[in-house]
Amino acid sequence: MAEVRALRWIPTTQWPPTLQRLVWVIAGLALSVVPHVPHIKAWILVLAAGAAALRIAIEVKQWQMLAKWLRSVLAFVALLAVLLDYRTLNGIDAGTALLIVMAGMKLLETRSVRDLTVIVFLSYFALFAAFLYNQSLLRLPYMLVTAWLLTVTLMRIHQTTTSMSIREALGITGRMFAQSLPLAILLFLLFPRLPGQFWSVVPARGEAVTGLSDEMSPGDVSDLSISTALAFRAKFIGPLPPPRERYWRGPVLHDFDGRTWRQPRTLFVAQEVVTSGATYEYDLMIEPHQRRWVFALDVPTNWPKRRAARSSDLQLLTGFERPVSTLTTFRLESATSYTVNGPLPNLMRATDTRLPGGRNERSILLAREMRERAGSDEAFIAAVLAKFRDEEYFYTLEPPRLKLDSVDDFLFNTRRGFCEHFASAFTMLARAAGIPARVVTGYQGGEFNPISGYLLIRQSDAHAWSEVWLGERGWVRVDPTAAVAPERIERGIEAALTEGGESLPGTFLRNSALLTRLRLAWDAANTFWNNQVVAFGEEQQRWLLERLNIGDGDWQELGVGLVLTLVAFFALMSVYLAWRFRPRALDPLAQIYEQMCRKLARHGLPRAPHEGPTDYVTRVLQTRPELAQQLVEARKIYVALRYGPRSWGPQLNRSELSRLKFIVNQLKV
Amino acid sequence: MLSRLLSALRRRTRVWARKRHGIDSDPLTLSPRRIYIVPSGLGIAFTLMLFAMFLGAMNYSNNLALGLTFMLGALALTAMHYCHRNLAGLQLRSAASEPVFAGQTARFRIALENDAKVARYELVIANEHSVAQPARVESGGRVVLDLDVPAPQRGLLALDSFEISTRHPFGLFRAWAYLNIDLRCVVYPKPSPRGLPPPPLETDTGGAQDTTRGDEDFAGLRAFHPGDSPRRIAWKAYAREQGLQVKVYAGTAVTSHSFDWDALPGLGTEARLSQLCRWVEDAYAAGRAFGLRLPGVEIAPNVGPGQRQRCLTALALFDEKAAHG
Repeated sequence: MAEVRALRWIPTTQWPPTLQRLVWVIAGLALSVVPHVPHIKAWILVLAAGAAALRIAIEVKQWQMLAKWLRSVLAFVALLAVLLDYRTLNGIDAGTALLIVMAGMKLLETRSVRDLTVIVFLSYFALFAAFLYNQSLLRLPYMLVTAWLLTVTLMRIHQTTTSMSIREALGITGRMFAQSLPLAILLFLLFPRLPGQFWSVVPARGEAVTGLSDEMSPGDVSDLSISTALAFRAKFIGPLPPPRERYWRGPVLHDFDGRTWRQPRTLFVAQEVVTSGATYEYDLMIEPHQRRWVFALDVPTNWPKRRAARSSDLQLLTGFERPVSTLTTFRLESATSYTVNGPLPNLMRATDTRLPGGRNERSILLAREMRERAGSDEAFIAAVLAKFRDEEYFYTLEPPRLKLDSVDDFLFNTRRGFCEHFASAFTMLARAAGIPARVVTGYQGGEFNPISGYLLIRQSDAHAWSEVWLGERGWVRVDPTAAVAPERIERGIEAALTEGGESLPGTFLRNSALLTRLRLAWDAANTFWNNQVVAFGEEQQRWLLERLNIGDGDWQELGVGLVLTLVAFFALMSVYLAWRFRPRALDPLAQIYEQMCRKLARHGLPRAPHEGPTDYVTRVLQTRPELAQQLVEARKIYVALRYGPRSWGPQLNRSELSRLKFIVNQLKV
Repeated sequence: MLSRLLSALRRRTRVWARKRHGIDSDPLTLSPRRIYIVPSGLGIAFTLMLFAMFLGAMNYSNNLALGLTFMLGALALTAMHYCHRNLAGLQLRSAASEPVFAGQTARFRIALENDAKVARYELVIANEHSVAQPARVESGGRVVLDLDVPAPQRGLLALDSFEISTRHPFGLFRAWAYLNIDLRCVVYPKPSPRGLPPPPLETDTGGAQDTTRGDEDFAGLRAFHPGDSPRRIAWKAYAREQGLQVKVYAGTAVTSHSFDWDALPGLGTEARLSQLCRWVEDAYAAGRAFGLRLPGVEIAPNVGPGQRQRCLTALALFDEKAAHG
C-alpha cells in the first residue's frame, strides 16, 4: 500500500506547469483568506474551498470545465446568497464575503494566465480587507509575507515558457519590494489625509464588539471583566490622577424597568459645570468600538469641539455619523473636582426619580424606612453604604442569577454581586427615598505602563457607579462598590477579587515579574505602533513636516513633496537598473584588445564586425605603415594568447599579457 | 470594424516608427530611448483595483490598508522600470535565413544576445504574421528566434518591420520597440508540376574539357565530398572499412543537362522560370550535373548543393527587363 502511494506521488516540480500555477494561485488566495476566518460566515469559506477543490480536480483528472451557463447561474446564486444573508452588499462584512465568494466562482473559469492574474488581484484585495478588520502589530509579518508570496505567484504565472524557480522569483520580487518600500513610505507620510469618512457605511447589526453597551442588566459588566482586551489608553501630559479618581465616564443610564437600566430617549437641558482645583490634560486613544462614546476622565472640561460634544449628563460623544470605527485619538482636559450648578431641570428630576410600579416593593419600603430614620439625604446615603459594608454583602465576579425583581432578590436574598448589582441597588434605593439618582457606566482604574508612560484601560476595568443630586452640591458620585470592596477602587479588580479567593483569567501571567515586564514591553511596542502608524493622521503629518523644517504641511507643500518623491524615485530606479544591467566585464585580454581597437577607431580606423585581429591589423597597416612594429607584435601576442595552444585560463601567461598592455599603452596613433 | 481600425492604426504607427528610427544597423543594441511602454489590460485592471483600495482605506482612515495600497502602487512603478530595462540594451543580430520556394513561408532568424550581468525574461518578437515563443536570455547568453513571413512570389523577400516586446515581470506593463533591420531572404520560383521532360543529356565526348571527369572508364577512388551523388559511392570500399569513397570515372564522356531559357518557347516568364526550377530540382535530386542558361546569365554545368543554390538564386533574381536591356 505504501509502495503504491509512493509511486503515485510526483514531486511538485514535475507537475504540469498549468497545475503548478493553479496550485500556487489557490494557495495564495487561501493565505489571504485566512485572516478573515474569525469573522466570515462558514458557508462562504466552504463554498470557496469547494470551488478550489473542484477546479484542481478538473485540472488533475482532465475533466471538462463547467459549462458557461452553469458558471453564470452559480455566480448569480452565490451573489444572491450573500445578499440574503447579509441583507446588503455595502460595508466591510458583506463586501469581504462577496469578494471571497466571487474569487471562488472565478476559480471555476480560470483557464488563461489572465484569469489566474485576476485571482491574484482578488487575493491582494482580500489581504487589504483584512487590514480593515485588524491593524495589530502581531499580524503585520503574516500580511507582509503573504503579499510577497502573492507577488511571487504573480511573477511566476507570467513566465510562460520556462518556469522560473521559486528561489529566483523570491529573490527578484524581494529586491523589488525592498526598492518599492522607500517610495511607499514617503507616499504614506506625504499623502494628504482627509478627516472623516466621505462614504458612510452603517456597521451591520449584531456586529459583536466587546465593550460596554447602552443598557445594563445584572451580569453585563461582570461578563466584560473576563476580557483582557484593551479598551483605550491614556497618556497624561502632567501628573496622573490618583487611582481613586480614575473614573472614565461612559453611557449614563436613567430609565429603569426593575431589572435593566437604559439610556433615556428624551433630551435634557444641559447644566453648567463649575470646576475647582487642577485639571488634567491627556491624550485618549480609543480602540474601535463602533459607538460614539469617548471615555473621558470625569468630568471633561475641554475637548476638540469639531469632533465631539458633551451631553447634558456630562458624557462625551462623537458626531452622529462618526462612531469610533478606527483607533482614534482625542486631546482632552478633565477635572476631578467639580460642581454641577443650577436647578435640576424638571424633566431630569422626573426621569431620575421614576421607579417602575409594582416592582422591588420590599426595597422601596426599606428605602423609605431608612430615609425616615436618617433625617437627611446625606445621612441616608451613608446609611445605605454602611449597610453594604457592615452586613453580609459580597463582591464577586460570579454572582448568582437574579429574579425579575432584581434589586429585591439581590438585597434580601443572594447578597452577592458585582459593581452593577451594587450600583443598580443603590440607585434604586436613592430614587425610592426621593433622591434623583442615575447609573453611570464606564471604566475605573487602569494599569500604568512605565515603559511607554501610558495608562492602559482594559475591558476588565469596566465599572458602574451612581450619581445622586444633592441640591447645592449638585450631582455627586457615589460608588457603592467602594463601600463593599474598597481595594477595587484603590488597587484594581484583581486585588478586589483575590481578597475573596477568586482570580481572573491571566492573573498568573500578571503576577510573574519577568512576564509582566515582557507584557509591558510588548504593549509599549504596540502603543508605538498604534500611535505612530495606525493613528497616523493630519496632526502627525503636520508635526512631522514641522520637525523636518519642510513647512506647515498644507496641501500645496504635500503636493510638491509627492511630486519630488516620484521624480527622485524614477531617477534612482533608472540609474540603479542601468547599473544592474551593465555589460559583463570582459576578460583582461579582451579588455586590452578592446582598448587597442578603440584607440585605432578614434583615428578613423574602426574594426569591422567581421574582421579578426590578423585582417584588421593588416588593413590598418595599409594606411598607417609606421605602426607596423608595434601592431605586429601586439597581434602576435594577442593571437598567441587567444588562439594559441596554451589554453586561455589559469595558466595565463602574465608576462606576455603585461607586454601586450604595455604596447597598447605606448601606441601613439 | 474595431479590429480593422486597430490594425490600420498599428500599421500607421509602424510606418511612423520606421520614419523616426530609420533602418537599423545589423547588430543592433536597443537604446532605451526607442522603447515604448504602456500599461497592459491587466495593468489597467490593477490600477482600478488600487484606486478602489485607496478609496476604501481613506474612507475608513485605515492606515495599514493605505500602506498596503501604496506598497502595491510603488511595486507597480518598480515593475514598470524592470519591464523597460528588460529590453533596453538587448542586442539583436540577424542569423542566416534559409531560402524558400514561392508559396512557402520564409523564416527569418533573429538572434537575441544579452551581455548584461543579469538574465532577461519573456522576450517576444512578432510581426504581422507570427509571434515567436517568449524566450528567456541568460546573462551572456543568446537565443535565436524565428519570424515567419509568407513568400508569395520569387525574388528577394524583405522582412518588414517587426517588434520586440516584453511583459515581464508581472504582466502589468508592456514594453516594446519597433525594429526595421534590413533583412532579406531569397525566394526561389515555385517549381512547376512534373510533366515536361527535361531536355536530353548533353554529352561532352573525349574529355575535351576535363580529363578527370567522365562517365565511362573507372579511374580510381577519391574521398567523398558532400554533394557527390550517392550512386558513385564505393560501397564495397566502405564495407572494407576504407571510409566513404567515391568512384571516379575518367575519359570519354561527361554527361550533363543544360537547362535553357530558350528551350521553352511559348511560355510566360514566370512559367519558364518555374519549369527551369523543376528541372534543376529533379536533376539535383538525381545527382546529375546541370547548367543553366538564361538571358544574360550563364552557369556552367556542375553538381552539388552549391550548384543548385547558384542556379535557383539566378532563377529567383532573374530580371527580364534588365536582361533584355
